[in-house]
Amino acid sequence: MNGTIGEPALTSPADRPDAPVHAAESTGRSLWRQLMGSNTAWIFVVLLVLVAIFSAMKPGNFPTEFNIRAIATNASVLLIIAVGETFVIITAGIDLSVGYVLLFSGVAAAETMAAFGDPTNKGWDVILLGLLVALASGLAWGILNGFLIAKAKVPALIVTLGTLGMAWGLAEILSNGQDVRYIPRELATIGVGRFFAVPWLVILAAVVAIAGAILLNMTKFGRYTIGIGSNQEAARRAGINVERHLIKVYALSGLLAGLGGFLALAYFTTTTISGHANDNLNAIAAVVIGGTSLFGGVGTVIGTAIGVFIPAVLQSGFIIIGIQSFWQNVAVGAVLIGAVFVDQLRRRSRERR
Amino acid sequence: MAEPLLQARGIVKHYGHVEALRGADFDVYPAEIVALIGDNGAGKSTLVKVLSGTEQPDGGEIILEGRAVQIDSPAVAQQFGIETVYQDLALAPDLDGAANLYFGREIMLPGVLGKLGFLDDRAMHASARKAFAELGVDVQNAHRMVANLSGGQRQSVAVARSVTWTDKVVFLDEPTAALGAVQTARVLDVIRRIRDRGGAAIFISHNMPQVLQVADRIEVLRLGRRVARMDAAGTTIEQLVAAMTGALDSREGAA
Amino acid sequence: MRIRTVTMLGIALITVGACSGSAATTSPASASAAPASASAAPASASAAPASASAKNYKLTLIQGVKGDPFYVTMGCGAQAEATKEGATLNITGGDTWDATVQTPIVDSVTASKPDGVMIAPNDGKAMFAPLKAMNDAGVKVTLVDTGLDDLSFAQSFITSDNLGGGKLAATALAQLIGDKGTVAVISTNPGDSTVAARVKGFYDELTKNHPNITALPIQYDKDDPTVATTITTSTLAAHPDLIGIFATNVQTAEGVATGLRQATNTSVKTIAFDAGPKQITDLNSGLVQALIAQDPYTIGVDGVQQTILALNGQPTTKAIQTDLAIITKDNVNDPAMQKFLYKSACN
Repeated sequence: MNGTIGEPALTSPADRPDAPVHAAESTGRSLWRQLMGSNTAWIFVVLLVLVAIFSAMKPGNFPTEFNIRAIATNASVLLIIAVGETFVIITAGIDLSVGYVLLFSGVAAAETMAAFGDPTNKGWDVILLGLLVALASGLAWGILNGFLIAKAKVPALIVTLGTLGMAWGLAEILSNGQDVRYIPRELATIGVGRFFAVPWLVILAAVVAIAGAILLNMTKFGRYTIGIGSNQEAARRAGINVERHLIKVYALSGLLAGLGGFLALAYFTTTTISGHANDNLNAIAAVVIGGTSLFGGVGTVIGTAIGVFIPAVLQSGFIIIGIQSFWQNVAVGAVLIGAVFVDQLRRRSRERR
Repeated sequence: MAEPLLQARGIVKHYGHVEALRGADFDVYPAEIVALIGDNGAGKSTLVKVLSGTEQPDGGEIILEGRAVQIDSPAVAQQFGIETVYQDLALAPDLDGAANLYFGREIMLPGVLGKLGFLDDRAMHASARKAFAELGVDVQNAHRMVANLSGGQRQSVAVARSVTWTDKVVFLDEPTAALGAVQTARVLDVIRRIRDRGGAAIFISHNMPQVLQVADRIEVLRLGRRVARMDAAGTTIEQLVAAMTGALDSREGAA
Repeated sequence: MRIRTVTMLGIALITVGACSGSAATTSPASASAAPASASAAPASASAAPASASAKNYKLTLIQGVKGDPFYVTMGCGAQAEATKEGATLNITGGDTWDATVQTPIVDSVTASKPDGVMIAPNDGKAMFAPLKAMNDAGVKVTLVDTGLDDLSFAQSFITSDNLGGGKLAATALAQLIGDKGTVAVISTNPGDSTVAARVKGFYDELTKNHPNITALPIQYDKDDPTVATTITTSTLAAHPDLIGIFATNVQTAEGVATGLRQATNTSVKTIAFDAGPKQITDLNSGLVQALIAQDPYTIGVDGVQQTILALNGQPTTKAIQTDLAIITKDNVNDPAMQKFLYKSACN
């Protein structure tokens, strides 16, 4: 028998002396299949159907370059924070603080960039500093959330509700209740600028989403996220440091909220202190509509992206065809309930086994 | 008899006011199957949790291959070659069989990608299929989500996981309680295979006929202490029950 | 799998299908009157309007926030004027006063290719870019109630004389409290140019002409009545000698009234901006002593008029200030005051 005390007996099954050596066979699960999951495919169909209906009803208005670009751009910041929220919800947690961490990070960045005098003509060094401040503040709030949830064992709902309020209050204090209304011109150019007809904001959101999808499906970090959400005790018994991992997950959510705050600042050219009241619920709704289960263990980033676009498409389509805006709320609520209902059906069918 | 592989001496464990273990002892030797039996509340599961690193004892010592050790966590136990199949299986339902097999011990892609954290799913699936095939577990289970497997299939995956990672000591907590006849037979085959490879398999069971059928030895816990050790050969069910319920107290106590 | 598709598609189709029955125009009166609005459009189109061009212009009013009686009344005025001029009017607005909520709405309205848009921007800076894009797409943009920092492309900016309104409020409040004592000012958001002007007018007038009145520093409630209530009760607790409150808009006024109702001290005199249905009730019950009413109906009428002038290629008036009135229990039933009272639904 190999291994003495303190050394691993085997590092992998392949170490076994009698293990035959075979060429690795194809696992038969394509990349597309891996990233999509089955819940996601169906919600994608719903999105396509909505787009088809609105395009058929208003072919000159809905499926235009302007409108598609507008929908995508306006959804970008939400998509970025929803990617972070996806990871959190997959661990069966929740992060309600994202909207105000986003706001605080934007305020911190704006104040930093304005600290050296009128920021309008400042260069990329100041902009980069602002970005770092935004990311650092988002990360800090995320780590605080993670620590209180994982180590102090306070429920995530309560912790993030608390940090929501703290971030909001501190943002108000930091800004004296006044929007910071001037940012470097170069940054504002990025906010509305395009790269070959695709807005920078959309590109950045897409990069974040793709990176998130890769992280979730192809790395150890993603595997542990899903495993912890699926069965936290099993993860603990498998030797995984669950607490440390949860802190990392909430830190990621905070970091992305910080990035979102910086990009929102670039887009709106002001800190919009009076807003962001519903960012958290919009992010959670997007994640859930996309097929991620509130109970953990199941979820995809592509689903979240679809979940972001369904309410966006509904809103745009309703306005274009002239429906009273109150119906949008009804429709989004119905889709949200439908998504959770479908998730429940799926869970119940597997518990029957 | 050869040197004991794993020993526990005087293990004490409280949960608040409840004393789950009051100086429990335990011995297991290489190449044997031991049944750990006792009435409800005797402390069997707790003892297994202590020896597998899930819980920390409040007193007593653990001796592995002649040396005293501290098993601070499940990871440390695994490093010592002690694997456990828990009663609740400790599988992640949303991951497939291969992912569960490698949970916590994933194979990374070679080179830079591996250092960045990228998993080698292909290698894990191939290896899992091989391991399952050897143990008579349906190879397709490597690709199926555990949530979609039946109770028996899940048990097979959990048991396969334990024997895949160690040749030394495997604890199984009620491994066949929820299984049908065919699946039970298969799990018992795997248990025997552990012994045949020179390792020790310790299983908790309430099924006395099964205990006598499979085990080489039996250790009996009662009220947090070991009260009897018996060879399966020549022991009757009545004797087992008597030991569990206290009729045989202080007859064959701690060694 | 099949259950999933059916459920999700069903929900999507039902909501879209049910709503598409009420497509075409919407108006404040037609909460459920889909057939009524569908038939109203053709009727007015055939009425041969007196405007220079008989073209049926497509207009949209983007409210500052939906559900607010001020904007509802504005919509009534806009709808009446649109009908008169033979134009069709869509009305839409966000759930909250939030530039990040209003931006996608503005973009969607731009995509719907209206001829003209009247909008109350939620932020004078943040809304510049999307509204400029709307203007660049060929839509005539008129600003109502709130403005932009940069008014260069707006056809017209129609608002109340908010500075004068603040001054009026200060004068009226001073009279109510005997020209001395401590007063509080509760406003909505620092970035809102409209209420900022009212606040400035108020403080300036007090400083200039009422030296015996101490005004506490301004507090903000984010246009949320529940926050205004809390601010009211805490300010009362901190300053038991508080004798006057100035609430700068409808939502704030509602919250202040609730806060005062909870307090046992009934000697605080309140003057509020805006005369919504609830404020009238509070006025009659004595919770509020005076209301500075704007004329949102006229703002809506003027907004449509200016937009249609622009569409017809005629010159517009770049800045229009509409009237304000002080409403008290004494004159609330006067026929002359009726047009200043806001409605929560047209007719």
